[in-house]
Amino acid sequence: MSNSEQTDRRQFIQKSILGGMAISSTSEVFAQSEEGAKESDLTQEVDVLVVGGGTAGNIAAIQAGRAGAKTLIIERGAQLGGTTTTGGVAFPGLFDAWGKQIIAGIGWELVKECVELDGGKFPNFAKVPKRHWQNQVFVNQFLYAILAEEKCEQAGVKIAYHEFPQAVQKAGIGWEVVCVGFGTRRRVRCKQIIDCTGGAEVVGMMGLPRLREEETQPGSMLFNLGEANNPGHHQLHRLYVHGADSSNSRTVTLANLTGRRSVLEKVRKEKKRLMHLQPETGFRESFRIVGETMITVNDYTNGRLFRDAVSNAFYPVDLHTKSGVKPKPLKPGTVPTIPLGALVPKGSQNLMVAGRCVSSDRLANSGLRVQASCMGMGQAAGLTASLAAAQSTTPLEVPLGEIHRELAKHGAILPGKS
Amino acid sequence: MKYGEPGKARRRITSLLSMLTFVVMAVTGALAFFLPFSIEIAGLHSLMGFVFVAFIAVHVLNNSRQLKGYLRSRVVGLALAVTVGLGAVFFFQPAPVKVVLGLSQNLGPALDRFEVQEDGMVYHYAPSDDYRMELTVKTGPNSDPEDPPEIAIWLENQGDYHIKTLLGPDGISDDLPYWSFKRRGWEKAKEKAGNEEEIDAVSTPTPNGSFDPADYILPADPDTSTPYKLLIEINENGDAHGEYDDQPSLVYSVEIDNLRPVTFQILDLVGYPKREDEDGREAWSLYFVDEGFGSALKLVDSVLLRVERGL
Repeated sequence: MSNSEQTDRRQFIQKSILGGMAISSTSEVFAQSEEGAKESDLTQEVDVLVVGGGTAGNIAAIQAGRAGAKTLIIERGAQLGGTTTTGGVAFPGLFDAWGKQIIAGIGWELVKECVELDGGKFPNFAKVPKRHWQNQVFVNQFLYAILAEEKCEQAGVKIAYHEFPQAVQKAGIGWEVVCVGFGTRRRVRCKQIIDCTGGAEVVGMMGLPRLREEETQPGSMLFNLGEANNPGHHQLHRLYVHGADSSNSRTVTLANLTGRRSVLEKVRKEKKRLMHLQPETGFRESFRIVGETMITVNDYTNGRLFRDAVSNAFYPVDLHTKSGVKPKPLKPGTVPTIPLGALVPKGSQNLMVAGRCVSSDRLANSGLRVQASCMGMGQAAGLTASLAAAQSTTPLEVPLGEIHRELAKHGAILPGKS
Repeated sequence: MKYGEPGKARRRITSLLSMLTFVVMAVTGALAFFLPFSIEIAGLHSLMGFVFVAFIAVHVLNNSRQLKGYLRSRVVGLALAVTVGLGAVFFFQPAPVKVVLGLSQNLGPALDRFEVQEDGMVYHYAPSDDYRMELTVKTGPNSDPEDPPEIAIWLENQGDYHIKTLLGPDGISDDLPYWSFKRRGWEKAKEKAGNEEEIDAVSTPTPNGSFDPADYILPADPDTSTPYKLLIEINENGDAHGEYDDQPSLVYSVEIDNLRPVTFQILDLVGYPKREDEDGREAWSLYFVDEGFGSALKLVDSVLLRVERGL
């Protein structure tokens, strides 16, 4: 036998052993069988339907579930967390203002657990940040998504991925929503809907008025070039995707194609390895609802304490444009608040929103749209919807004192109380 | 010792005193121009100036006959014209004169003024005819007029770098650690910029990289104006409260944006400085004021900034 033959044989044996080891080290799990999995049409009755499992949606669902409401969350993607996970903006903020925590509750619980489990680090909130983003909390996006799922399941929330509503109509005191995913057509009868789609897509489907600027803020495609992704410890590289529009599957597709094409150009130009790429563009702006209350930039920058305020918000006025962004910090001591009325589309019943589509003018929205504020809104909406469902009433009819009491019980910080 | 005739002796001593006081005036004048403001130098210069004027008056009397002769000469008109011309140029300060004044480390008497009042202090700063800044620090109930707190007022650019101290102690001060840290950083950066011939930190087209306060306060091109900050640090020595044997200094701040001009602005309490080590190097950061503070919060009642533009 020649030397080369011997070497080949040795390599063959080594590779076979390594391959065998790889197979033997693979863990195995079995998914539970879904009842009626072979049927494409199903009907489901719930108290609260949360549409959109993003930053606000998953918090709203967990809160509704914990408050005792039978809850279903519909998400068009494959995981919870939205901008924080799918968008890769895995540095939610701002939970603190002026040295004090102003947003806590379920959002903070999730972020805190994620950081602790991941061996991450919190910013020193006692320190005056030179720039607002220094107090954003880095989270491991992958872990965050799984923890969000776990918390949903623990709260009894049913998760439905890859589905989106196709039609909504009134049914009795609530709604009948037809949601479609591949191989699934789900008819959901619910008492309350919380629209957490970011662009108030359900509100739009119902024909209720929405606001939208002619030119919206750019989205961001996040990636890592040349260096390995270190989730929860390091920020990803970013590029603006101008014209990014989250209104429908076609505009989202276009934004993603545009973003990815630019990343590919960078790879070729910089001759570096592409080490990480988010599956979707992070979107900053699309539609906003016209709510019972409209938060104006003056309300926002003056920290107006609304009579029906249900959560805090904190971030500079932060409008991204083609020429970049120049954040306008809030005056010391200012903590904007979000009224319940801004989460309820004007003239609607049994319908709420949470997240960046909150009823607000454009400049106020540029500060309100950030993750911690959206989490606060999500918890308030989830709680209010669950109370409304339990009382067979509409969110605005739920006594404010009761909302405040229950929110505090679930760990939220009430406006004016931080 | 004989001094000769009394008249001659008087003339000699007057001339000598005039010359010597002039030397003191010249030296202190140069020091006042090139060194940071010093009350000792300014006091010496101005008081010696009065003495000099008195000796000159006697000197003029002593030499009145010769002076009358000079006044009858043909060059008197020229001398008068030169004096009036220089007086007018130095008074109205056209751009080239401002450039020369800008070389001075101490434009205090020319550009700014500090007044102590019964209920506080007012700082005036007027770097041009059509720009006036006034900072009124109204003292609070815990400020002792007999033993006023230490204070520093300075400007920072958007990168949080010190660009000009408007008022502060000579050198650095342990009682005002944040200002001292910032000022030291500025001095080091200036020194570095001076040592590196290629560096364009002083005249960089990016205003945020400039060491020249004029680039922020009165930029040549207003459209490129970038916001800057005015800060004050205040500290009462030995003001024990709660767990503090001596409460730390407090820092107040306001942002000034020439693109969004506002006449009146109140400075906000930002925090208190705390020493940190960044990679083994000394650094000072601000921390939010917590419940541990007491009397220090009442050293200042309010700090009002008034900026008038286009006067």
